[in-house]
Amino acid sequence: MGARLWTYGLLAAFLGAWEAGCRITDISELILPAPSVVLTTLWHGLSTGYLLPHIWLTGAEMLLGLAAGCGIGFVCGIVLGETAFLRRVLYPYIIASQVVPKLALVPLFILWFGFGMTSTVIITALICFFPLLENTMTGIAHIDPQKRELFRMLGATRMQTLFRLKIPSGLPVILAGLRVAVVLALVGAVVAEFIAGREGLGAMIIASQGMMDSPQMFALLVVITALGMLFYQATLLAERWVLRRHMKGTGQ
Amino acid sequence: MGFLRIDGASYTYPPDETVVNGVDWAIDQGAFHCLVGRSGCGKTTLLKLAAGLLPPSRGAVHIQDAPVTEPSPQVGFVFQNPTLLDWLTAMENVLLPVSLKRRPRVADRGRAAELLALVGLAEYAGRHPRELSGGQQSRVAIARALVNEPLVLLMDEPFAALDAITREELQADLLRLCASRRTTVLFVTHDIAEAVYLADRVAVMAEGRVRDTLDIDLARPRAPDLRYSPRFNELCRAARQAMDAA
Ligand SMILES: Nc1ncnc2c1ncn2[C@@H]1O[C@H](COP(=O)(O)OP(=O)(O)OP(=O)(O)O)[C@@H](O)[C@H]1O
Ligand SMILES: [Mg+2]
Repeated sequence: MGARLWTYGLLAAFLGAWEAGCRITDISELILPAPSVVLTTLWHGLSTGYLLPHIWLTGAEMLLGLAAGCGIGFVCGIVLGETAFLRRVLYPYIIASQVVPKLALVPLFILWFGFGMTSTVIITALICFFPLLENTMTGIAHIDPQKRELFRMLGATRMQTLFRLKIPSGLPVILAGLRVAVVLALVGAVVAEFIAGREGLGAMIIASQGMMDSPQMFALLVVITALGMLFYQATLLAERWVLRRHMKGTGQ
Repeated sequence: MGFLRIDGASYTYPPDETVVNGVDWAIDQGAFHCLVGRSGCGKTTLLKLAAGLLPPSRGAVHIQDAPVTEPSPQVGFVFQNPTLLDWLTAMENVLLPVSLKRRPRVADRGRAAELLALVGLAEYAGRHPRELSGGQQSRVAIARALVNEPLVLLMDEPFAALDAITREELQADLLRLCASRRTTVLFVTHDIAEAVYLADRVAVMAEGRVRDTLDIDLARPRAPDLRYSPRFNELCRAARQAMDAA
């Protein structure tokens, strides 16, 4: 409880110092708007409903990209984790595909899929793919050898060993990958919108920059941060729920 | 001859560490044999050969005259560590051998509950492994090995983590259960008194070979206070001398 109090206290102190600094130095709103100004802009954007479609759009892009990227990453992780041959053949390609800065692909995707949601979702999915792939492969590879022997002893089929031993034991590692993917997904969606978006929070930031509307840019940053925290917390809750049986007896 | 037969079995861990070296052993149906030997002499490896978990580099293993090439569902195995699945309750862990074959029925659950009661864990059926003590975990693992009523039971120091009193209770229960089902048992232990109390015959192992065998001529069923009889102590001394010689 004490720690939580300090967290909020620190936020209040920071905002207070910022506000005071802006008032004392009388710095231009264009360079650094005071928190009160940002808050007013934010409230205006929310209460008039002007920001809402953009929040929905970015949220939807992020969710779609996350679902597609994580789903495909998970399945590929299982396939590669289970077949050593495929893993040896394909892994260098996967590494190569990850080393390519994916945001540098956005211009190409605009050419292929046009401006808007499709390009952003695809970029987000590409970004989310790797953490899930990597963690799924690691998660199902590192199984206690005695538990494998147990499953052999019990005559379990390969599928049973996969679904009843490997995936459940790897679940904590796999879900840690999901958490990483959630953070990357928001960054991916927003930055992809910088280039490929006409709407959405990222596109709005670029638009505000064009109009030299700094308070709006800050307001958008606040919205994006809140969106990220919301998704992250939801992931944590979901993770805790999925792992509730794993956690039994660990004192958490 | 011999329900479970090990014929000249050897096992070499790559590259060239021969851990089991030409072991011959036969167990008749319903007999209870113990394997004693010092740490690292190859007991676990021999047990895994008998189970079909490891392929012998030389020799063969037969159960009911059929060669063992892979683990058989008729064989129950208790590993040296409990090896429970953390995300399942004690009850679900005991039922694992059943649930890998089919959906557990009411009768299966009844049998699992009986076994949990037998190992003294009736109230702990709903707990997860990490909520159990080490000894309680090994008792769940024993119940799991028994749930399919295997014809052959291979046990690797199953009672090592238990206190003396619990261990003696479980020894008596195990003997009763195996006698009633005519289970053929090969039981690995460090403990000479445990081997003498349980076994019809004790194999003394050293450096991958069976160096000595000892027939235990104590009458069955074996009462707990048999442990204080002169004959029991004589046999323990003989076993100890065989181990020292080996
Ligand atoms: N996977 C392995 N690879 C290489 N050597 C092994 C492996 N497993 C066991 N060994 C070696 O084989 C020997 C016998 O091991 P084993 O587990 O059969 O001993 P044990 O008699 O069961 O000992 P303990 O009573 O301590 O359980 C040991 O010297 C060990 O170092
Ligand atoms: Mg051992």
